[in-house]
Amino acid sequence: MEPHPLSRRDLLKNTLSALPRSAIALSLPAILAACSRAARNELDGAALQLLGGEEAEEFAAIADRIIPPDDTPGAREAGVVHFMDTVLADQRERELELLREGLGQLQQLVAGRFPVDRFSLLESGQQDELLREIEDSEFFATIRFLTVAGMFALPEYGGNRDLAGWDLLGFENRSVWQPPFGYYDEDYMNQGGR
Amino acid sequence: MAGATFQTREEVDFVVVGSGAAGGIIARELAEAGHSVVQLEQGPHLQAADFRHDEWGTFFNNDLTWNHRRGRPQTFRKTAGETATPRDRVCNYAHNVGGSSLHFSGNFWRLRPIDFMEASVRGTIPGTNFADWPIRYENLEPYYTRVDWEVGVSGLQGPWDPPRSRDYPCPPMAVKGSDVLLERGARALGYTAYPAPVAILSRPHNGRPPCVHCGFCLGFGCEVNAKSSTMITMIPAALATGNYELRTHCTVSRVETDENGRASEVSYFDAGDNEQSQRARAVVICANGAETPRLLLLSDSARFPDGLANSSGFVGRNLMFNGYSEVSGLFPEPVNAHKGIPATRVVHDWYELDPNLGFYGGGGIDGRHPVRSGTPMESAIATSMFDGPTWGSEFKARLRQEFTHSAAFDGHTTSLPLDSNNITLDPELRDRWGRPALRCTYMDHPDDLATMRYFMDRSVELMEAAGAVEIHASYPETGQEGSSHMLGTCRMGDDPATSVIDRYHRTHDVPNLFLCDGSSMVTSSRGQPTMTIMALAFRAAEHINEFARRNEI
Repeated sequence: MEPHPLSRRDLLKNTLSALPRSAIALSLPAILAACSRAARNELDGAALQLLGGEEAEEFAAIADRIIPPDDTPGAREAGVVHFMDTVLADQRERELELLREGLGQLQQLVAGRFPVDRFSLLESGQQDELLREIEDSEFFATIRFLTVAGMFALPEYGGNRDLAGWDLLGFENRSVWQPPFGYYDEDYMNQGGR
Repeated sequence: MAGATFQTREEVDFVVVGSGAAGGIIARELAEAGHSVVQLEQGPHLQAADFRHDEWGTFFNNDLTWNHRRGRPQTFRKTAGETATPRDRVCNYAHNVGGSSLHFSGNFWRLRPIDFMEASVRGTIPGTNFADWPIRYENLEPYYTRVDWEVGVSGLQGPWDPPRSRDYPCPPMAVKGSDVLLERGARALGYTAYPAPVAILSRPHNGRPPCVHCGFCLGFGCEVNAKSSTMITMIPAALATGNYELRTHCTVSRVETDENGRASEVSYFDAGDNEQSQRARAVVICANGAETPRLLLLSDSARFPDGLANSSGFVGRNLMFNGYSEVSGLFPEPVNAHKGIPATRVVHDWYELDPNLGFYGGGGIDGRHPVRSGTPMESAIATSMFDGPTWGSEFKARLRQEFTHSAAFDGHTTSLPLDSNNITLDPELRDRWGRPALRCTYMDHPDDLATMRYFMDRSVELMEAAGAVEIHASYPETGQEGSSHMLGTCRMGDDPATSVIDRYHRTHDVPNLFLCDGSSMVTSSRGQPTMTIMALAFRAAEHINEFARRNEI
């Protein structure tokens, strides 16, 4: 796939959708194996269906550098790893494999440079430094995509817990709005359509 | 209303393939004239209660648009020399009753008189199939008005709009902040922003309620039936006739012909993947500008070796996507362009570009949210929309700001019809039933790219004049790689050598086979084709009914 230089969102959209056609046929054994492993696993006290607890911890650490906690929740607290767990379990083996391979390479990078072998054990400054080095990789693009998607998806997918993502944006999921919607249209109405 | 039930061995008057913008209208019109009609639709019959603000399902799980995950792969390449590769969102359309009229944003610009005769007024363009339509604006105007009233359009007649025989049934939608800004920019530069006509109700009409401004239009089904899809405006009336059957989850595989070269039955895979075949006196294909030519190519036979109705070789050719440009601006105060419908104002000062620019083109600019859906997840994924960071603390700060404080001025532009842009059958990849996958070959003409660039530049000027503090501008400068607009692939014309259907939508080659959808269009429109597709459908249905009455099918 050729990246579209000026339309970043299309590129990111396609990272999850441009599967080779063989992916579906190959999916079942991987799903079953993952599911049997999954029952025992959890993150932050909530069960995972596909991801292992250890890798979930690492993905959570990465996600928390993409949307860090400050005075409002970061990606981890918002449950984005549970979102990843939900969507990756839905016949997305290519992405799962890509994430696992990418994580393995990242941990090698960690071990080669620090006295620990897990990204999650580093300080946030060290984590950011490593992520800056890999930010052009497909691995980072995929986990960044899933982190942001999970932060702002319907909470039933596992992320956006307590609407942390929508609150961050200033989005309120209402069915009905009445104009004026914002500053400029209110101003326009007040000035009689000028 | 359950409608009628026909046996597949029973010869019905019409089979209509597809239930979208055109198919929904034609089926209702034929059924109300008393004909027995079977409508075949690939997808389910979703209704208002089925729709939610689910961005993951809509944009990334392709709940409506489907893809290879549901056994419907497509392939794409830019030029004939390349091998096409599997891709999503090449020819992007909704698989459900109502088709893409269910998930569109409902921008309902009419064509203007010039659109129908631009080649003779402006001149043909070497290396392209740019041509006049066989009909004129006056021929289509009564049907545009029927769309306004029977489907439901909100708007306000502007001084440059083409003449209309009747006013809009509903006044324009409330202006959004993004369009207030567009209007300010336009006024400062001496241009005019005018209320955008939309197929969304601003007040109750035909028993349907007005829009509640929830903001989930583009890509989504309407939760209150204020959006004028054929699912809600046409299908219930068709079912009420008692001589119409809607068969959902039925994917058509071939149109069969008899020893006289007439369409005789339509083969399809039903919900259980069983192959069925419905006999019919006549067939109307409204499967969209990508699937209609594909179905004709799949329906080849000894008598029609290059595909059904393809003696001209024009089936699948002249694919036009419409061009676009996107210019986002960050503003000091909350715009909240995520609330309300996508666009409420349009600037049409560049409907026809000056020929002295050295390239052909034209279009319009409307105000929007920078991600066209205006929805939170799409917006966050695209953040920063202004070349800021895409992760980390500063990214989080941008998220707080950009979603609510941004507007976009988007260009919607012409595409030229070319032999080299087309729909063909993929030689290798197959769909879940073993049929060759849809293959799309597309590279925008240099004039189309120049037009997009021109509109981007105008939008930047408008954005500066509107007071944006940061601006990001783009257009697909290396060529588009997919679209929701698939136009021109079975074009209408008087000459059977250079068109697929005649001016009444009857194929030149098969007297009881009619085509009507985006494929019928001779030129591309200025970027908003569905109003014209629906008007063509009303007109086609009227003629088909008349032919049937005179026993001329």
